[in-house]
Parts: sequence; structure tokens; C-alpha cells
Amino acid sequence: MTGGPALVARPAAGAPARLRGALGERVFYGLIGFVGVLLIWEATAQLGLYRKSLLSTPSAIWQAAATDIANGELWPHVSLSLTEFAIGFVLSLVLGVPLGLLIGWFRRVDYLFSGLLAGLNAMPHVALIPLIILVAGIGMESKVIVVFLWTFFAVVVTTFNGVQTTARKHLEITRSFGGSQWLAFRTVVLPSTLPFIISGVRIGAGRALVGVVSAEFLAANRGLGFYISLYGTFLDTARVMLGIVIFGILGVVIGELVRVVERRFEVWRPDLHH
Amino acid sequence: MEHHLALSARGVQMEYRDRQSGKRLLALENVDLDVPDGAFVSLLGPSGCGKSTFLKIVNGLLRQTSGEIKLHRVAKGREDAMVFQDASLFPWYTVTDNVAYGLVCAGVSRKAARERVQPFIDLVGLGGFGDKYPYQLSGGMQQRANLARALAVDAAILLMDEPFASLDAQTRELMQAELLRIWNAARKTVVFVTHQIDEAVFLSDRVVVMAARPGRVIADITIDLPRPRELSVKRTPLFQDYGERIWGLLAGRQEETASQGRAS
Repeated sequence: MTGGPALVARPAAGAPARLRGALGERVFYGLIGFVGVLLIWEATAQLGLYRKSLLSTPSAIWQAAATDIANGELWPHVSLSLTEFAIGFVLSLVLGVPLGLLIGWFRRVDYLFSGLLAGLNAMPHVALIPLIILVAGIGMESKVIVVFLWTFFAVVVTTFNGVQTTARKHLEITRSFGGSQWLAFRTVVLPSTLPFIISGVRIGAGRALVGVVSAEFLAANRGLGFYISLYGTFLDTARVMLGIVIFGILGVVIGELVRVVERRFEVWRPDLHH
Repeated sequence: MEHHLALSARGVQMEYRDRQSGKRLLALENVDLDVPDGAFVSLLGPSGCGKSTFLKIVNGLLRQTSGEIKLHRVAKGREDAMVFQDASLFPWYTVTDNVAYGLVCAGVSRKAARERVQPFIDLVGLGGFGDKYPYQLSGGMQQRANLARALAVDAAILLMDEPFASLDAQTRELMQAELLRIWNAARKTVVFVTHQIDEAVFLSDRVVVMAARPGRVIADITIDLPRPRELSVKRTPLFQDYGERIWGLLAGRQEETASQGRAS
């Protein structure tokens, strides 16, 4: 080597840098994680590290699913739970979003409701289920009410917060150019509240699923929650697990649907453009 | 030709009540100001001298405690339009929709407004960027859209609240020259708020110098530099004389306030 200071090279990549988080990559690693857990689960059970009847095994769950789908036992439970979820959820949006907007926009409506809502929201909702079942029976109505209540508060509170965090400088634009309050509401408050509403929907959807199961656990003669608790009493862990897995899948699917809606409404957000 | 006043302010005072101490603070003390039609007048002063407050009072965003503001009445549309300090574009609107928003506020339909603002988008040099969202624009381009929004409502007087304060030095100079070009094309009266001496001298027919605590006018200097002005005028002795004179006024005041501060 000749004299002079040693130089450290930073080699060129030779190809343009790739953006991180490509969809294919996400799916690929996601699947590896998922399949890996299933394999470990199956293997540890087959090796006899614990009793199969305690946690069941993926293959047993698969078998239970195949049987109950083929003989038509599973679907009525799933469809009932989904119906309860859908009705309660849509009702809570239809009533919750406007109420949240009103509370956020009009001071007096805020004074009228916010104390009441804070109290109802702070209460452990599960404690209400026995009362709701007493009043509305063990049929679909009581589940719809539970789903509605769980979701409603999340939607109202996040919508309200969204309105309240509307940027002052944006509201000032409308005022400066002589626009009406109603115009400010439509063109400034609504679009800047939308991300909050969507996150309310997301939180609400999760809570609503929990609501369906909780209510069906306590009193029902149909539905996915009932399916789980029924086979729990028979110690049929494969079917208990099957119910749980289906809830998990529903949760993921609903979450993805919310994401699709989110992208549709927020083309103006930089992070969603690439 | 008769010279109308675009803006006339008489004895304008603005008082705030401090929330904690309950003391009254005088943000503006007895401000008189006449701005003739078509003039470019700058309000120059340190922060806290009430220059932005004055602009918001003219715009109607704030109401003065006492005194009188008169704007030259226009046949249709608004008397005044504001260009904001941070561009304050709506992130959920495209450039076109943002520029059209002033007209929408005036009751023009969204569709008609979009068509009418096209020439203004071109005028400020944003042609071809109409469909972009604000996050896709540089700071200078956002300020161009901000300016176009105010121009589009065709108000008689433009109120500009430190519009270039957050731009880097080069973009700022470029925008100053651009503003003069647009002002020349649009023939508006401009009241321009800034704390930059060279910006005020370069742009203005008159520089109104203000001081803080209480906010008040301490000098009104006519800038006799020929128009149209190029950026090179900033290197002429006459320009620098104006700069030094104004700097002397502001520095003197600052020493005075500083010694007052020590005394109290």
C-alpha cells in the first residue's frame, strides 16, 4: 500500500433504491409469521408437550370447520352475529356522527350532553348487559343494543374531538373571506374531522365485535358467541377455538374495510400516496 | 384624476385584558393611516408592535376597541382580501379548489369558481399545478396559491400579513420581485406587513414604521425609488440610505424600550 490516509468506501447499490413496505413483502412476511405459529402449535401438540384437548390443534380446528360448514351448522351462527353487528354498528354511526358534530360545533349542545356522555362512557359497559337482556330479551334485539352502545360512545367522542381540533387558522380563512358559519362547517370542520370519524369507526368496530360475543355469552340461543360457550361446556376445544378464529378473521376483514374507506377519503394525505 | 383613499384609519385603538393580571394591554394606540388607491404601503416594526393586529382589524377578523376604519366601497365583491402569514391552504383541497375558496365564500358555486380562478393560477406562476395538493408544493408555491386566492376575489385592497416570513432567503427575494410583477399586472392597493426592512423598502411606495408597547406609528417614510424595480435596486446607495434611516429609527426605539424595561 502507498502512503496517505486510508479511505473507506461506501459502495454504490447499482440499482435504484426501493421504497420500503412493498405490498408483496408485507404479505409474504405476514404469511410466514402466521404459518409459523400454526406449525409450532401443531408440532408441540403432536409431540405431546401438553394435552391436545386443552388447546386443540390447527388440524383438529380445520376438521371441525370442515364438518360444521358442510353440515350447515356454523353459518347460521355466523350470519346472526354479523347481522347483529351490522345493524348496531350502522345505527351507532347514523346517530353518533351527527351527535358528535353537534356537540363539537354548538357550545350549548356540548353543555347539554357532554357530562352525561362522559358518565355513560366511563361506566363499564359489560355491567349493562344483564339489564339490557332483562329489558330486550335474549333475541337479536338485546345484541343490537349492546353493539350500538359500545360503538356509539367511541364514535361520538372521537367525532367531537375531531371537531374541537379543527385548526383555528383554517376557520379564520372562511371568516376572512366572508363565508358563512355553515360554509365553514361544511368545507372546514367536516373534512378535518373525517380522519377522527374514521378512527372512531375503527375503534367502534373492534368494540362492537367484543360486544356481540359478550352479549351472546351471557344469554343467547344462537350466534357465534353462543357457539363458543356451548362447545366450551362440552369441552370441545376445537370448536371453541374455531369460533375464536372466526372472530379474529372478522376483526381483520372489518379493519381492512375501514382502511379501504380511509384511503378513499384521504387522497390528500401524503403518506397514502405512495 | 381624483385620488381616492382605499383605506382610512383614524384613532384606532386595540386593548386586551390580560387573563392573569387583569391588566389592560394596549396593542394599538391611536393609529392614523391613509392609503391611497393603488398604493403599496408597508407596515414595518418589531413583533408586538400590533402590525398584524391592525391588518386583522381592517380585514374584520378582529374589532378595534375604538377608532374608525373606512374602506373604499367597491361596486361588487369584497373591499379587501387577506394573504395569510402561513399559507393556510386547506390540505384536503387541490390548488384550484384552494384558490377558488375565496369566491366560494362570496357565494359563487364551486364549479364556476374553479373556472374563474384559472387566470389567477397562471398569473402567480402555478399554471399546471392546479390539481396538486398543498403537501406537494414547496413553501414558495404555497404562498403563490395563498396570493392567488386573495387576488381571485378581485378585492380593491390586498392585506398581506408577513407572507414571505417563513421562506428561505432566496425564495423570499424571488417572491418579492414576483409580487411587484403581479401588483403591476393586477393594479391593487396593497397593505403589506413585515419586520424586514429591505423587504419593506424594496416593495413599497411608503413605509410606515411602528414601535411596540404600546403599538403605534412612529414614522411614515415615502420611498422615492423609480418603478418598475428590479432586485438590483437593493444594491444602490439610495436604497441603502433608506434602510439605514429606518434601521436607526427602529434601533433607537429598541434601546429606549430596553432602558424602560430596566427602569420598571
